[in-house]
Amino acid sequence: MSPVLRILARRLGISVIVLIGVSMLIFAIARIIPGDPARIALGPSATPEMVQALRAEMHLDEPLVAQYGHFVADLARGDLGQSLYTNRPVTTDILEFLPATLELVLVAGVLMVVLGLPLGILAARHRGRWPDHVIRVLTLLTVSAPSFVWAVILMLLFAFYLPIFPVAGRISDVYAIERVTGFLTIDTLLAGNFAAFADAVHHMILPAVALSLSGIGQAARLTRANMIETYDKPYIEMAQAYGFLPVRVARSYALKPSLIPSLTIIGLDFAAMLGNAFLVEAVFAWPGLSRYGVNVILRKDLNAIMGTVLVIAITFLIVNIIVDLLIAFLNPRIRHSTRGAS
Amino acid sequence: MIKTKGVFAAALVAATALTAPALAQSVLRLDEVAVGELDPAKASDYADSILMFNVYDTLLLPRQGGPGHVPHLASGWDVDGVNFTFTLREDVTFQSGNPMTAADVVYSLERMQALGQGLSYLFGGVSAEALDEMTVRFTLEEPYAPFVSSLVRLPIVDMALIEANATEDDPWAEAFLSANGAGTGAYTVTAHNPQSETVMALNESYFLPIGEAAPDEVRLRYGLEAATVRTLIAQGEHDIASQWLPPEVIGALAEDGAQLLTESGTGAFYVKLNTARAPLDDVNCRRALAHAFDYGTALQMIEIADGVSQGSPATGAIPVGMFGANGPEMVMTRDMDAARAAMEACPYPAADWNLEISWIAEVPIEERFALLMQANFAELGISSTIETLPWALFTERVTTPEGTPHISQIFFNAVTGDPDTLLYGMYHSSVPGTWQSPEYLNDPMVDAALEAGRTGATEAERSEAYAALNALLLEIAPTIYGYDRQSVFAASDRVSVPALSDPAMAFGLDGMGFTFRLMEMADG
Repeated sequence: MSPVLRILARRLGISVIVLIGVSMLIFAIARIIPGDPARIALGPSATPEMVQALRAEMHLDEPLVAQYGHFVADLARGDLGQSLYTNRPVTTDILEFLPATLELVLVAGVLMVVLGLPLGILAARHRGRWPDHVIRVLTLLTVSAPSFVWAVILMLLFAFYLPIFPVAGRISDVYAIERVTGFLTIDTLLAGNFAAFADAVHHMILPAVALSLSGIGQAARLTRANMIETYDKPYIEMAQAYGFLPVRVARSYALKPSLIPSLTIIGLDFAAMLGNAFLVEAVFAWPGLSRYGVNVILRKDLNAIMGTVLVIAITFLIVNIIVDLLIAFLNPRIRHSTRGAS
Repeated sequence: MIKTKGVFAAALVAATALTAPALAQSVLRLDEVAVGELDPAKASDYADSILMFNVYDTLLLPRQGGPGHVPHLASGWDVDGVNFTFTLREDVTFQSGNPMTAADVVYSLERMQALGQGLSYLFGGVSAEALDEMTVRFTLEEPYAPFVSSLVRLPIVDMALIEANATEDDPWAEAFLSANGAGTGAYTVTAHNPQSETVMALNESYFLPIGEAAPDEVRLRYGLEAATVRTLIAQGEHDIASQWLPPEVIGALAEDGAQLLTESGTGAFYVKLNTARAPLDDVNCRRALAHAFDYGTALQMIEIADGVSQGSPATGAIPVGMFGANGPEMVMTRDMDAARAAMEACPYPAADWNLEISWIAEVPIEERFALLMQANFAELGISSTIETLPWALFTERVTTPEGTPHISQIFFNAVTGDPDTLLYGMYHSSVPGTWQSPEYLNDPMVDAALEAGRTGATEAERSEAYAALNALLLEIAPTIYGYDRQSVFAASDRVSVPALSDPAMAFGLDGMGFTFRLMEMADG
């Protein structure tokens, strides 16, 4: 078995164990949150009899172990139950809301990579000079404020005072696009409607930038620090002594080892954005899974909480596996060190 | 570098040019808190009510600008003791094209009772039968005078369409009705995303005439943030903001030129005193607090603009304008002399008190009221602690008298517009320990007055019963009647809403002011 496949098999095995642990943990935590889910679901006007009937229907009147048993049995059938928040199957909700968040997070992730890494490289190459100073100040600014603050600032600047961008939703009301993948940028192209595609991209710019700014700053600063450390290594000095061009030194010798820690952080940031996007989604009325997750927690919608957390956990694990494989690809020492462990 | 600048400039120009095409139809855009429940049998909150009143119809409607009801899907009705017989209009069809008959009315009641959600409790002990195709009779197990007003909460559904979409696992087609409409209403559901918006289109075959200027399309958005709403209205992308915006934001929108729409007469702000715990188990101690509360300052705190406030002075337990209310001359005012006199009669020395004043975490204005009460009561030498309770925790705490805070703050509306649905759940001794009844009141005279209000044969009898109840409640002070609630909505001048701007057109039922067919769009 190739080293990469070995890493993949090992990570998948660990992921299954992690998922079981996460499901048990979330199951327990969801039941610790104050409030009776049946009472919250039925609303303030419900009679005690109505609340009791729903509690029985949801198995809430049974011991915790029995409740977990019902959950696992339903999960094995691919049934995440009914959401008390939307009154629909949780799987329907996830399938509807996940693409919106994934699309936003993917674009934000791409922005993190295509802006964060080059900025870090640029700052490292010009260490101590004005490009470095400017980039450091800007990236410090982006990491020092959370994404929802950027969301409000960007909205005020580019939607309220300077009405360039739309402020709410994924696409203008005038476009009715048939849902195929749930990714509007893809569905509009599949429909051959380029005006709608441009409109969807237009709607995505502000939320994606707000979501990615902190990550861009983090990626840039980390890449800069790693590259500066690499530049101090003897083999770089040797390459410079050979008279290689600075671009070649940076690209061929300094960048690759510096990317490994940056990739790890970007991978974690990317996965974390799935959960952290909720305030950006709230500000821009983006109908995504993060916002759904927060709403269901506030309403103690047990099935939906479990479903959302499981999806986010699975995404986290997938992203981690991809990052591990990338790192193994970039770093032969990691790739070959797994041989003994397997 | 020049190339980069050029690309950026081109992108900016492209972004600016990417404005949406002009709308061909008049579109009304408004927002509410998440989530909109489309199934009318499960509807309970404000967003649900807006959907229900537009996608579905009821046998009768509240009379605009005054008390009582007028026929709607029914052409008339007769009352004979516990039997209520309705004759249906013959010109009504559902949005599917099916004709509406008495069988649909019976099915609507049975479906609501079977699901047991939303406001189904209003129809406990009620049965219905179709006497013929266009006549239906409701029979009550015991006399209940407000039954007629309850019918504004019984939307009539399309039995044939629902049965066609029912399955063995889903006999009442809940899945279908959570995403689709099955009513006779003036608007049909064209798209529904419970987290983002419901889109409705005008029903061209509605049985009543609809004005030319009524919106062709309505987009009811959910869960918009205050900053987003403000920006959308500034961009001309939104028409009516929800009532849940902070007063400062509504005020700022008004300063920017928004009109302010109002809805009142159905609910109030109640400061509930736990009568089962010392020192508030004594009537004089409670009276002292009721006299010491600064009603005027509370009203100032919710003022939005000159002449527009989120409340008006209370005159008792029943909001002014509702059946059985006290006249506006009986406004509640602060009286520190009376408060001190009541404290002297209170058997618990003020120095020994430590009141728990709670406020609901999701309702920030209540924190300000809690601070106001703390300051007011301190003038009587009473110390207190303020406690923040998330709604979910509050509903659990109130299930026992010991766990219920001394003071709880609740905004409450009558779901049918009748005082019975406002007061019975609050004060009858048979229903203590709910979020509506943290007073734990157990008073036979109050119970008797509530029963008299329910069973009075005539309006005069009922009115007398509620007037007596109002006086009694003011006497025994289980609650501080803070103010009568008024919902305020900031709206663009694109839309005209007579039911929310002209008292003579108001419905006296929460949410019914948002009957879209009665609205007028400037570009309609």
